[in-house]
Amino acid sequence: MRSNRRQFLLGSAAVLAAGASGFRPAFAADANLRQIFWGSQERANRTYKTNDLFTAANPGTKITGEFYAWNDYWPKLATETAGGNAPDIIQMDYRYIVEYATRQAIAPLDEFVGKELDLHDFDQDQIEGGKVNGKLYGISLGANSVASIVNTAAFKEAGVPVPDNNFTYDDLRAACEAFKKANIRGGMKAFQDGSGVEPLLENWLRQRGKALYTADGKLGFDAKDATEWFKLWNDLRNDGLIVSADDQALDTGPLDQTMVIQGKAAVTFANSNQLVAFQALTKDPLTITAFPRVGKDGKGGHYRKPSMFWSVAQQSKLQSDAAKYLSFFINDVNANKTVLGVERGIPAAASVRNAIAPTLSPQDQVALHFVANLGDLLGPIPPPPPSNAGEIDIDLILKTSQQVAFGQQSPEDAGPAFVQQATDILSRKG
Amino acid sequence: MTSEAIARPRPPRSKGRSPVASVIIHALLIIASIAMLYPLLWMLAAALRPQQEIFSTTSIIPSSISFEAFGRGWNGLQVSFGTFFTNSIIISVLCVIGNLAACSLTAFAFARLKFWGKNFWFALMLGTLMLPYQVTLIPQYVLFKDLGWVNTFLPLVVPKYLAVDSFFIFLMVQFFRGIPRELDEAAMIDGCSTFQIYYKIMLPLSVPVLTTAGIFTFIFTWDDFFGPLIYLNDMKNYTVTLALRSFVDSTSQSDYGGLFAMSVLALIPIFLFFLFFQRLLIEGIATTGMKR
Amino acid sequence: MTVRPLGADSDLPISGRTATAASPWRLFWRRNGAGYAFLTPWFVGFFGLTIGPALISLYLSFTDFNLLQSPHWVGDANYLRIFTADAKFMQALRVTFFFAVVSVPLKLAFALAIAMLLNRGLKGLPIYRAIFYLPSLLGASVAIAVLWRELFAGDGVINQLLGYVGITGPSWISNPRYALWTIILLAVWQFGSPMVIFLAGLRQIPQDLYEAAAIDGASKARQFWSVTLPLLTPVIFFNAIIQGIDAFKSFTPAFIISGGTGNPINSTLFYTLYLYQEAFGFFRMGNAAALAWILLIIIAVFTGISFLTSRYWVYYDE
Repeated sequence: MRSNRRQFLLGSAAVLAAGASGFRPAFAADANLRQIFWGSQERANRTYKTNDLFTAANPGTKITGEFYAWNDYWPKLATETAGGNAPDIIQMDYRYIVEYATRQAIAPLDEFVGKELDLHDFDQDQIEGGKVNGKLYGISLGANSVASIVNTAAFKEAGVPVPDNNFTYDDLRAACEAFKKANIRGGMKAFQDGSGVEPLLENWLRQRGKALYTADGKLGFDAKDATEWFKLWNDLRNDGLIVSADDQALDTGPLDQTMVIQGKAAVTFANSNQLVAFQALTKDPLTITAFPRVGKDGKGGHYRKPSMFWSVAQQSKLQSDAAKYLSFFINDVNANKTVLGVERGIPAAASVRNAIAPTLSPQDQVALHFVANLGDLLGPIPPPPPSNAGEIDIDLILKTSQQVAFGQQSPEDAGPAFVQQATDILSRKG
Repeated sequence: MTSEAIARPRPPRSKGRSPVASVIIHALLIIASIAMLYPLLWMLAAALRPQQEIFSTTSIIPSSISFEAFGRGWNGLQVSFGTFFTNSIIISVLCVIGNLAACSLTAFAFARLKFWGKNFWFALMLGTLMLPYQVTLIPQYVLFKDLGWVNTFLPLVVPKYLAVDSFFIFLMVQFFRGIPRELDEAAMIDGCSTFQIYYKIMLPLSVPVLTTAGIFTFIFTWDDFFGPLIYLNDMKNYTVTLALRSFVDSTSQSDYGGLFAMSVLALIPIFLFFLFFQRLLIEGIATTGMKR
Repeated sequence: MTVRPLGADSDLPISGRTATAASPWRLFWRRNGAGYAFLTPWFVGFFGLTIGPALISLYLSFTDFNLLQSPHWVGDANYLRIFTADAKFMQALRVTFFFAVVSVPLKLAFALAIAMLLNRGLKGLPIYRAIFYLPSLLGASVAIAVLWRELFAGDGVINQLLGYVGITGPSWISNPRYALWTIILLAVWQFGSPMVIFLAGLRQIPQDLYEAAAIDGASKARQFWSVTLPLLTPVIFFNAIIQGIDAFKSFTPAFIISGGTGNPINSTLFYTLYLYQEAFGFFRMGNAAALAWILLIIIAVFTGISFLTSRYWVYYDE
């Protein structure tokens, strides 16, 4: 709105500063990059140490990092961006990158590739994952996959074999029935209710040759698919095989509320890089495995999803310095090996991945091997979701699933209603 | 007549209540107290127990006790909690002073003075209470950014000196109007200026409501996280409440034990503040009392 | 004791001296100067900090502002959509009205009852007062979210207690039929602020009025109805207005309990929570601003009605 005047003021301030420091030539060359990301102090420590390594290698470029919890991060970033005060280097999420890119809040990085930004041995699917409308807006900080978090102790107690990558939805029902019979820990279920889990629905659709969204931003499935999906879970729920509607609704997102941590179910649907975080919250040993197959030959549901990105603010005046930092972050073997590890996901640059693999903890190894050995489960990376899809992914799916679970809607009604509302949301402007 | 000559209400001491009634009242209060204290006990238990137990057990008694979470929490962020406590106390105290001074001036005008447009301004003042802050946040951010105040305490403190908290103005107006008007009139006949009436009559007689406003300002400021979240960038400037929110990221590994340990510690200053200043609610009035 | 609406004529003249005939400006200053002088800080704050952002938000409500790009004027499109095609708006209104209508009277009654109890000459009162204020100190602490689940989940403390009397309760906090009630309970449980204000109000009632009433042979109950309650009406009025406005704007309890989702099935989708989702979750700040101004009008109407009726039941000792 008033950015012209602001830029003018900033410009004059810079001129004044340059003039005042004329006798100190180094000052003019100094670049101070602001960096913002979500996460915990643990992630911050790793990031800040990497920043120090970068500054040591590039004297004159300083990086000031800030971090926030996920829920606080987005209002903070939106306010700063709207206020014309966006940080230069911004951690982005797979869902939000579309919103920020299509609204020109983050900058396309194509012009830096091959120069400041070295992507020569970067995984092609991770480059694709960072593209919106054909332009590169985010550099993947790690390849990730959806995964089932499995409480192996509970499975042993129930005398049920731990699910593996060939586990199907039929096996899921069988495991649930075996758990019901075994009746361990006050009626613990084998599985959480997955009907409101957007990645699980996507995975199920992809195995059936459909998708959540098409490349041109439309819904990639129809009411029949949706009905079948809600019915699948409704039958399991009605037979008392998965957690009740009451219990499932306790989960509003954070890890500590998931059914596996609450002890209500032995399996929760999440992401491969979260195994360590889950494990910190429970005494039972956990492992990860793939989402169920729709049948013995069901395949291609998974994909290597960028866990998160670094993006560069459109407002940044130091975009090429920022690109240089991004390049260092993803390519520097020493920084990745000694400080970054796989905390943000499995590195997408092959040389870095090979260098750090032997240094990982056993649990990190589990995640690395899981993502590396998905085999025929692995499919192509889907096109980025259309604008407004966030409301479907985080709100509508969950709400519809709860309406079915609490008996307010039959699966037969929920399917068409869901597709209708989703179509309305996608066609909404502004 | 001077201000000393005013009736000072005293707590109505119950005379001759039977011991049985007294026991019953205490029993009721103690039961209610447990319901009030339960969260604190639970938080303390969560801080003392092993982290893996926090979410999987409903028992309040930890299986084992360790104070380690307090040490871990205190230094759990890159800046120690000592800094956060200092920041919170500085901001809260500055806000208390600002609110008491600015809101009492404003409230005095609305409660006691006659001027053109009073009802209009009063309605506008109340109106500012009604707009959700979520939509004024960004314009306000731009304003403070243009002033160069981002990443300082100024956006959190300066508004209090400009009486932007309508809640406190309205509160004081209601109480000022309960103070007998003869006092002002008598003082005016004695030749007091309007400011002297405000300063020498109103304020001393308003200790309960000023105390209330002070306690609330302190606690509301202490508990606020959205303002600090938006305006503070450097962690060295964080308040306790904002720092606590940095402890737990719902998407990655977090130290819940440390969070609850620091949450308990964060309660102590505001609890003590309340405990200490609530005396003024009661005793402040009775100190210089003379019966009418 | 007389009934006196705000701004009645008996307000204090600003000076004892009579105004000598002078220019109209000087006359204006004589009559109004003190009032405006006392309001100076407020005026600076109002015009410097408050009104600008408020008017900008009003402007934005007629635009498609998406937080990240310059806003475009869309006329009444946001308002039109909210009133004609927004199921969530209606749901949010329902939730918020129900919450306000139930929680405000409960909270006020509870706060007044405890304040009366604590206003006696009991031993250990400061400690009790502080303990009763404790829940209000917790504010938006993450701990409350976890704690409330420990209490009201299916296998929570409440159901364990109910189990002793043979009742099997649902998971109160996550069942769409009861979830809102757990948030109402949370709001009532944090009754500390109105309690303290009531206490301060009770302190202000001159003791000699009770003594006079006692001499006249009035019972305790009679004293409450004819002395305490009338003299407390300004404070009751204040608490009712403030708690009402707070209830309509209530954000934090629902935000921490439902993790900002308003679930299960939008049964705890408070108005400002919906507004927040629209603004920061779905990048529709223009729409959120329209929602905010609709809320302002709703609150203003209710507050205005309250002020109009107040002259019939609020007593000021003037």
